[in-house]
Amino acid sequence: MSAYFSRHLQVLFSTLGSMRRTPMATINTLLVIAITLLLPSLLYVTLKSAQSLSSNWQGRPQISIFLQKSSSDSTAQLIFEEVQLHPSIELAEFVTPDQALAEYRLLSDNNSSLEQELAFLGENPLPASIVVMPDRASAKPENLIALKEELSNFDGIESVRLDLDWTERFNAMLQVFSRVSVLLSALLGLGLVLIVGNTIKLLIFNRRDEIEITKLVGGTDAFVRRPFLYYGALFGFLGACISLSFLLLAASLVEEPISRLADLYNVNALVHQVNLVEILTVLLIGTLLGWLAARWSVAMHLREIQPR
Amino acid sequence: MIKLSHVNKRYPNGHEALKDVSFDLASGEMAFLAGHSGAGKSTLFKLITRIEKPTSGQIIVDSQNLSRMRPSKVPALRREIGVIFQDHKLLFDRSVFDNVALPLIVIGMPHDEIKKRVRAALGKVGLAGKEKQLPITLSGGEQQRVGIARAVINRPNILLADEPTGNLDESLSNEIIDIFSDFNRVGVTVLIATHDIRQVERLGKRTLQLRDGELVHDGELIDTPQADSSSEEASL
Ligand SMILES: Nc1ncnc2c1ncn2[C@@H]1O[C@H](COP(=O)(O)OP(=O)(O)OP(=O)(O)O)[C@@H](O)[C@H]1O
Ligand SMILES: [Mg+2]
Repeated sequence: MSAYFSRHLQVLFSTLGSMRRTPMATINTLLVIAITLLLPSLLYVTLKSAQSLSSNWQGRPQISIFLQKSSSDSTAQLIFEEVQLHPSIELAEFVTPDQALAEYRLLSDNNSSLEQELAFLGENPLPASIVVMPDRASAKPENLIALKEELSNFDGIESVRLDLDWTERFNAMLQVFSRVSVLLSALLGLGLVLIVGNTIKLLIFNRRDEIEITKLVGGTDAFVRRPFLYYGALFGFLGACISLSFLLLAASLVEEPISRLADLYNVNALVHQVNLVEILTVLLIGTLLGWLAARWSVAMHLREIQPR
Repeated sequence: MIKLSHVNKRYPNGHEALKDVSFDLASGEMAFLAGHSGAGKSTLFKLITRIEKPTSGQIIVDSQNLSRMRPSKVPALRREIGVIFQDHKLLFDRSVFDNVALPLIVIGMPHDEIKKRVRAALGKVGLAGKEKQLPITLSGGEQQRVGIARAVINRPNILLADEPTGNLDESLSNEIIDIFSDFNRVGVTVLIATHDIRQVERLGKRTLQLRDGELVHDGELIDTPQADSSSEEASL
């Protein structure tokens, strides 16, 4: 067992040794791997940061129910009670025409022209309304649409407006973004396998004599293959290390401007802090992809090299 | 130990390198393989070590039928056979030590043991103290001896030597052939391909003579008919 380990350690160190003997080629390969791994990591961090932004947001979808202008106060009261009792509705608030006007005045910048128009109309044009917050179970878009349909059929209701909260839209957008990121990352992973595979192929043909002679003196396929698998795994691992340091550098570079931007919009935006599990995942993925690439390359090319 | 029955070898280009060759080399026997350049000596060795496969016929090495041998068993076969290659087949970017140690490294022998054995083998071929040198810094004869040390390092049951004395002067040739004789004395089966008729005569061993891929003589060289012998000697 310890002989087994020491043999593997020996291959590991001799592989590191041969990498050092060709520093330019090694650094080139490592940088290509690092950059290929960097893009998915950046996408991931961006996604995570955006998600934390939306989950920090306290909002929930709202439904505004506008009553018919003609309905009396008592009918309005009846409708309000009926809405309040609806099982999917958690909170309902009655907004009188006067309250609505007050709120409108508050939100409107150009007060003078508004006042002019109001004076022209002679009365408050706004209807009474009920603002409703559905319970969590009904907060899904399809449930909300059904609820909206149901409410529209009530007597005395003019119209119903569904305000899908912006977080919904934002989350839907994030979902699209995350799908695209996954696809892109898979493609980059494939690219990485091709790059490392090709590098290993060159190595195999550079060491053609060594492979032939090793086979001549009774080296097994596993023995001949081992250094190349180490090459692939080490390329992947070291590339991932470099990639991570780029990622941390990038995160620290954007952290300050992002928080300044967030202050301007009065939101709580943070750059996602990469944790240990994520670091280990990147290292593992890099190592695994490198190893896989070597495995594939070796399967393709080692058979071609037979002693003559 | 090595048994060939009606072996033919035709290379992809159509050249018939061996034609209906049959012989049986018993375990512990020592023999020479003679024949003009291009007669098929190296081809024969390539068949025995399964670098090449015969077009037809049967080869049995240490009671293993090579035509039915799975590729995964080939390394084990090659570990059993020490081969001195005509073109040395040394790794020129590795030290003499690494070259000689290779057969032991592939079987995962501990480093201390490897060191001891490499020293001993290099001492035996007269290359003591040259472990750290690169093969390129050695003379042709010295390179040949590195190949010899590598062939015997794993104490194989069979030794195949393809022109092992090609680059050596007479006294060194004697020394090297005597090393093979020593191995043979302790039970190793030895087959030496050579042009060096002096060695064949000096040892008086069984000689397999190839001519254009055909086995034209099997036995001690002195037994051959006068006319044939002289013409063979001329072309050896
Ligand atoms: N890979 C090959 N493809 C085609 N022909 C080959 C191949 N290898 C050898 N030959 C031919 O087979 C014949 C026998 O070659 P081989 O190397 O066995 O001769 P040899 O007896 O070892 O000669 P030498 O004493 O010069 O080493 C030669 O005519 C050679 O040209
Ligand atoms: Mg030859």
